[in-house]
Amino acid sequence: MDNSIDRAADRFAERLGVIDKHTLYRPFNCTLRSVRDLTPSEKMFRLAKLEGGPFGHRPGQFMQVSVLGIGEAPISVSSSPTRGDYLELGVRAAGTLTSALHRLKPGDEIGLRGPFGTHFPTDEMKGRDLLLISGGCGLAPMRALIQYVEDRRGDFRKVTILYGAKSPDDVLYKDELRGWRNSKIFECQVTVDRVPGGTCWDANVGMITKLIPPLQIRPDDTTAVIVGPPIMYKFVIEELCAKGLNAGNIVVSLERHMKCGVGKCGHCTIDHLYCCIDGPVFRLDQVANLKGAI
Amino acid sequence: MCRKDTERTMRLLTERQLEAFLRSAETDYDVRVPVALRDGTRTLGRLDDGRLALAGGAIPAKMTNVFFPQMDRLLTAGPDGPDIPKPVLRPLLVVGFTAQDAECLEFIDRFYAENYRDDVYFNRRDGAVIVCVSGRCGPQGRFLEIAGGKCDMEFICDGQSYLVLGYSPVGKALTEKLAARQPAGTATLTELQKESDSLAREDSRLLQAASRLLLEEKVPEEFWRSVSDRCIACTSCNLVCPTCTCFDVFDRVVDGKVQRWRTWDSCQLDGFMREASGHNPMGLEHQRTRRRIHHKLAADPKRWGQLTCMLCGRCDDACPTGIGVKAVCREMVSKYGSV
Ligand SMILES: Cc1cc2nc3c(=O)[nH]c(=O)nc-3n(C[C@H](O)[C@H](O)[C@H](O)COP(=O)(O)OP(=O)(O)OC[C@H]3O[C@@H](n4cnc5c(N)ncnc54)[C@H](O)[C@@H]3O)c2cc1C
Ligand code: FES
Repeated sequence: MDNSIDRAADRFAERLGVIDKHTLYRPFNCTLRSVRDLTPSEKMFRLAKLEGGPFGHRPGQFMQVSVLGIGEAPISVSSSPTRGDYLELGVRAAGTLTSALHRLKPGDEIGLRGPFGTHFPTDEMKGRDLLLISGGCGLAPMRALIQYVEDRRGDFRKVTILYGAKSPDDVLYKDELRGWRNSKIFECQVTVDRVPGGTCWDANVGMITKLIPPLQIRPDDTTAVIVGPPIMYKFVIEELCAKGLNAGNIVVSLERHMKCGVGKCGHCTIDHLYCCIDGPVFRLDQVANLKGAI
Repeated sequence: MCRKDTERTMRLLTERQLEAFLRSAETDYDVRVPVALRDGTRTLGRLDDGRLALAGGAIPAKMTNVFFPQMDRLLTAGPDGPDIPKPVLRPLLVVGFTAQDAECLEFIDRFYAENYRDDVYFNRRDGAVIVCVSGRCGPQGRFLEIAGGKCDMEFICDGQSYLVLGYSPVGKALTEKLAARQPAGTATLTELQKESDSLAREDSRLLQAASRLLLEEKVPEEFWRSVSDRCIACTSCNLVCPTCTCFDVFDRVVDGKVQRWRTWDSCQLDGFMREASGHNPMGLEHQRTRRRIHHKLAADPKRWGQLTCMLCGRCDDACPTGIGVKAVCREMVSKYGSV
């Protein structure tokens, strides 16, 4: 795939200062190309700019998604820029705005601001083993990274994907996970906390943390990336430390309540950091000692 | 500021003469001044809203609200997409900042400019003229610290009249318009400056000591629990604080058009950080009480290299249970450290 995408993203970021000087809170309109059910409560939306062209995002960044009259919410980009001039968002119906999004149909228009926030350090990850661990909705941003790695497979060494969900019904991106599990270029394992009676399930059962001890990890040559519900971080980090990884080689993406996405509203602070502009992607050693971060 | 230049343009005016000057400035500026309303309230308003009341010290409401009002429109849905507010047509000229208020404004200017420039804030702030009032006109005869170059212009009270000083180019130009008035003597300014320099700095030392304790993590959770037991979550501290910039965003329909607004928010409220999943990193009251103080005295110094409480005193005045910043710092330092 084309390295010019990274350069396009850089150019876009450089321009942001100029664009945003006049339009910090004004969304631009996009067309909803398609909507797909992922689970009973999650849908995937594919969006394109009205005038076409790339969104200039990097895996790990998020958009402020707007339905005028309802509000705005931060949603991670779930697709890699290497896939084309569109964005995919995997959205759980959690409340007012996300439910309004779920009611939209292909052809409708949606307002977006962004891309915002830090991205996964794909440049620093080059030439290293990757351990990509996600739980629940965390697969949404992780999928963008997995697609990116898939498209630039030669840049990375061994790539292991671990994913955990509550039950088989809650598993996101089922088809793609099947593909990654069958793929020769990844080692991929999926687990669920429980399997209700009468449900077919051909993968692991138990907490995601159980998948870590048996792995063969070269701690100094591995970058681990974790995205998941708050409770997951502490336990996964403990397992990774037991494997010899240090905080400098662990990357986390943290979720906080966000209202503006641009470091002004104050809702997303973690000590002196703003999750929306200094994060959501952090190296663990940036946040490990901050009260309430993990 | 070039001191010589400032002294050359300096003038001495009575409050009545200043009022005439401010009225003449209304042709070019949207002038806001401290006024006494009929019921005695001293607030920031237009010259016709009440009697000009320069003396009296800090206005109880935060002065920064002229640029960051309690509710502000971010956009309106229009036929060609969302429409954003335009810069104000007549720039503001705001009189009545104290030296501390000017420091607060300096900080929030920085806050709104860095990373992403907040155009909605700068729509009002760009081109605005900031006028501080200081000298022998504080509450109960107290001397108000001289702001110096932290503003465009300053009115320094000598007990009867006001020395008018212009600092920035626009401040100097406005002061020079007063050329016909009686020039002021520099002797008085030197005298007043001495008086300002000799003001007690205990509160500032107290704040520094509290900040050190927080940065060194010497303040245990139990302290915050004991303070939060006294908090009634009325949010007054945030509402009056000139360096509090947090806001919520909401949509509303006005005359059939969708508008998006921001409104001041408070980190003292349980829902402030609660995520849609229910996870709340500040779900306990003592965590929120800690944040209010820690943010200004420890988090902001780490991020911005400065304390962001300028000791304006508003939260201590407003808090119904006596746990404003100064009061909490006093308690903290007496328990865990020394000034
Ligand atoms: C960086 C980032 C990336 C994200 N990425 C994704 C993603 O890829 N996919 C995704 O699905 N989500 C993602 N989220 C989460 C998403 O932003 C939230 O689910 C969304 O903001 C919810 O908005 P809403 O308007 O739908 O919910 P809200 O209406 O705000 O409600 C959420 C919940 O809070 C409750 N609630 C609302 N108001 C109150 C109140 N006053 N008192 C008590 N309870 C109340 C509601 O009942 C509901 O359960 C991300 C968040 C961040 C910060
Ligand atoms: S979301 Fe507003 S400051 Fe981060």
